[in-house]
Amino acid sequence: MGDSHAHHEGGHGDDHGHGHGSPFIQHHYDDAKHQFDSGKLGIWFFLTQEILFFSALFVAYILYRHHHPEIFAYASHYLDVKWGAINTAVLIVSSLSAAWAVRCAQLGQRRGLIACLVITIVCAFGFLGIKYVEYTHKVHEGILFGRKFDPCVSSGGAQLITKKNECHGTKASQCVPANIDQMPEQPGWQVACKAYEVTYQGAGAARTEVSRAELPVCNMVSTGHGPPRAENPPCWEIQSNPNVCAPDKEGPTVAALVHYGDGRVRGSTFGIDLQCEPAPEPSADGDPHADVSHGPGFGQPLVVPSTTPSAHDLKVQASMGPPPEHTNMFFSIYFAMTGLHGIHVLFGIFVFIWLLIRAIKGHFTPDYFGPIDYAALYWHLVDLIWIFLFPLLYLIH
Amino acid sequence: MSSQATASAEPNYFEVTKGFKSWALTLDHKRIGLMYLFGILFSLLLGGAFALLVRTELMMPGETISSADTYNKFFTLHGAVMIFLVIIPGIPAALGNIMLPIQLGAPDVAFPKLNLSSFYLWCTGAACLLLSIVMGSVDTGWTFYTPYSLDESKSGAIIPAVFGVFLLGFSSIFTGLNFLVTVHKFRPQGMGWFQMPLNLWALYATALMQVLATPVLGITVLLLFVEHTLHIGIFDPTLGGDPVLFQHFFWFYSHPAVYIMIVPAMGVVSELMTTFTRKPIFGYRFIAYSSVSLALLSFLVWGHHMFVSGQSPLANMVFSALTFTVGIPSAIKVFNWVGTLYKGDIRLQTPMLYALSFIIMFTIGGLTGLFLAILATDVHLHDTYFVVAHFHYVMMGSALVAFLGALHYWWPKFTGRMYPERLAQVCSIGVFVGFNLTFLPQFVMGSRGMPRRYWDYDPEFTIYHQLSTVGAFILGVSLFVVVCYLMVSFKKGRKAPKNPWGGTTLEWDAPSPPTLYNFPEPPVIHELYDYDDIVEDGDNGWVRKPRPAGAPPKEKH
Repeated sequence: MGDSHAHHEGGHGDDHGHGHGSPFIQHHYDDAKHQFDSGKLGIWFFLTQEILFFSALFVAYILYRHHHPEIFAYASHYLDVKWGAINTAVLIVSSLSAAWAVRCAQLGQRRGLIACLVITIVCAFGFLGIKYVEYTHKVHEGILFGRKFDPCVSSGGAQLITKKNECHGTKASQCVPANIDQMPEQPGWQVACKAYEVTYQGAGAARTEVSRAELPVCNMVSTGHGPPRAENPPCWEIQSNPNVCAPDKEGPTVAALVHYGDGRVRGSTFGIDLQCEPAPEPSADGDPHADVSHGPGFGQPLVVPSTTPSAHDLKVQASMGPPPEHTNMFFSIYFAMTGLHGIHVLFGIFVFIWLLIRAIKGHFTPDYFGPIDYAALYWHLVDLIWIFLFPLLYLIH
Repeated sequence: MSSQATASAEPNYFEVTKGFKSWALTLDHKRIGLMYLFGILFSLLLGGAFALLVRTELMMPGETISSADTYNKFFTLHGAVMIFLVIIPGIPAALGNIMLPIQLGAPDVAFPKLNLSSFYLWCTGAACLLLSIVMGSVDTGWTFYTPYSLDESKSGAIIPAVFGVFLLGFSSIFTGLNFLVTVHKFRPQGMGWFQMPLNLWALYATALMQVLATPVLGITVLLLFVEHTLHIGIFDPTLGGDPVLFQHFFWFYSHPAVYIMIVPAMGVVSELMTTFTRKPIFGYRFIAYSSVSLALLSFLVWGHHMFVSGQSPLANMVFSALTFTVGIPSAIKVFNWVGTLYKGDIRLQTPMLYALSFIIMFTIGGLTGLFLAILATDVHLHDTYFVVAHFHYVMMGSALVAFLGALHYWWPKFTGRMYPERLAQVCSIGVFVGFNLTFLPQFVMGSRGMPRRYWDYDPEFTIYHQLSTVGAFILGVSLFVVVCYLMVSFKKGRKAPKNPWGGTTLEWDAPSPPTLYNFPEPPVIHELYDYDDIVEDGDNGWVRKPRPAGAPPKEKH
């Protein structure tokens, strides 16, 4: 850190040259090494800056995942691990070729350098191509960020998000939104319902019930910060869900939210049977929230499976249920992180194309290969960020 | 070694090349710094004009000159312009750019092209920020707090404003990066870390903060930008986002940003203290280390802006305690400056007058900061004029006053002209009086409950507001005169000698104005802050005493 240079010894008022090996050594540096070292320190500071630039998104990720683990566990299933894994491999190969390019430049192997740069560029394009395929799928299915989150839902409410390209059911935006505050505020409503954990054998219409166990109602305790915790897991609490589509009903739809302890929370659908008494009568002062006469009756299953779901769909549904409230947040973070990362990949492509042109012109020599080294360092960081993004977004269980 | 003859043999940096293109595409750090300086002085007048509009509106309770909505825009623009366009780039980007390589004895910064790019990023960012005025103007306060700033009816103005701030942020990051590498790699032989002028320590600490904190602002305003263009929802509570997260991100940058404003000011004041007392600085290492420790502490205290935003009591306590620790390096600096004054040969020239004002006002600003760090008093004082007065004492009374001191101190060096000394002294007293008249009453009304950012107020506060407005106009006139005489002296001032103040750092061994690569011949590294060898020589300013032949060379280490 503390090495200082005797850069005045050669004088600096004279013309370019200084007897430097390469014409690309700028006049205010002592020599090639001074320029290379300065650039190297500069790129390290730049990379530090990049890490801080991404850090806010990682913090947002940690925070929302801590507060809403159910959203992340749920929504992560809609990312395709296969594409994510292929992209990881593609980027690792490109990082290897970038590192190899540095070695070629150091040894003055111009053809090897050009080949390595071409491989890096091709891999980078491949990465963006795969990302394009993934994004297109999500655009088709309406699985987007924030306000644009408009997943495809079927009329029964069970098949909420499809993994197909076409939407056979209804868009969530066309559903009647449930009032979030309505159900839990109804005194006695939770007591009027019973939730059972049910196991089935077989699939589809042929399935048979194997066992049924009633779940106790959760005693929720505040934790000071973060979401309240259930004191007596496994247990259930009532949840009205604005994302549940019930076009044939005017009232809100309710679901059971089951707490298994250890922070594991699951929305109700397959495997959880919620049965409720008729809703309480409207209150005397005409509180509109009290009017839930259209609510589900006792003994009526809330979630009806859609017509002939495939075995895979059933498996997914059994493990997932309706999306938790604000599932869009996962996709907001997913698109923010992968989008910003994608912009960095795109920037990297421009840089490597510029380096390729210079390499073809023969600018790089064992005396002067700094830009290749710096670009490769940048590329390793971009690669490294993806190595973090992949498990954080795709591999949640 | 340094006769005027050799210095004038080589053309100075104004004369080397001429014409618009030679400035627009220059890679010379002095020209870039000078262009920054003109942009900053223009922004200073603009931001000052908004401040005067705010103060005029508050002259009387009720509507005076503008509606409440317009008033909101005035104070937002005042804050945004002053912070992003004046104080943050003031010392580092403008004066630092000019002086850092010269103080190092280096020909230029490490990456001259990056330096020019930073300047154009700054111009584009400033243009975007000012464009928002035409597009309907932002009225969220300079902090852009969500969810208030998510209001889509304001998108037209907020989009260019936050994009401008994003670009300004990257301009600041690249300048910081450039300075860090320059200090690491361009120190000449014989100048170790502890032979660096304290101004360089301060600029180094500032650059560290610029590189480490500003990216977080970058991503935050980028998310706000995406919030408006794509409705991504990360800060939008209606979509499940967290608006308080915005505050955390914002202050994670903006608290260090306060130190980005004040630490270089402290560096400048350290230089002024030693030069104008003709004494070595008292406690060099303590001042150097305290700059770096301020840079590090700056990252740990952002939560003290959010004591009333629903943070957990534990977080509040931790942030409160950490905030108190900031008092230690700050007090070390003030103590050392006062120690330097003790038994010094004090010369009350304009830069020194600003430096002395700085010590007084920084002490007031710093001590009132402790009131706000105490949780119990902060609940009472939060969002009142007490806070307004506190941060103006630090940012304007300290940072901007030090900028003015630095500007006067180095003006002869980089323009080659002297400013009118007597007029400048009068103006510096005008700044001091006007400033204190503006902001001392605000401490009083703040502690009596006058909330900040209010357009209207109870009649009991009228007298304080009127005193404050009168002070603001004294301040405004003084600053306006300063900018005017500087502009005039730029062309018509008396030619400046090489060393008008008797400074010992390397820039005073360069010609005034310097040559293209600053030094016609490699500078000799002398012992830092050693005033024994420098004597006054009439119109030639100060010169180094020729050493008697045969005397052993005076070398340190």
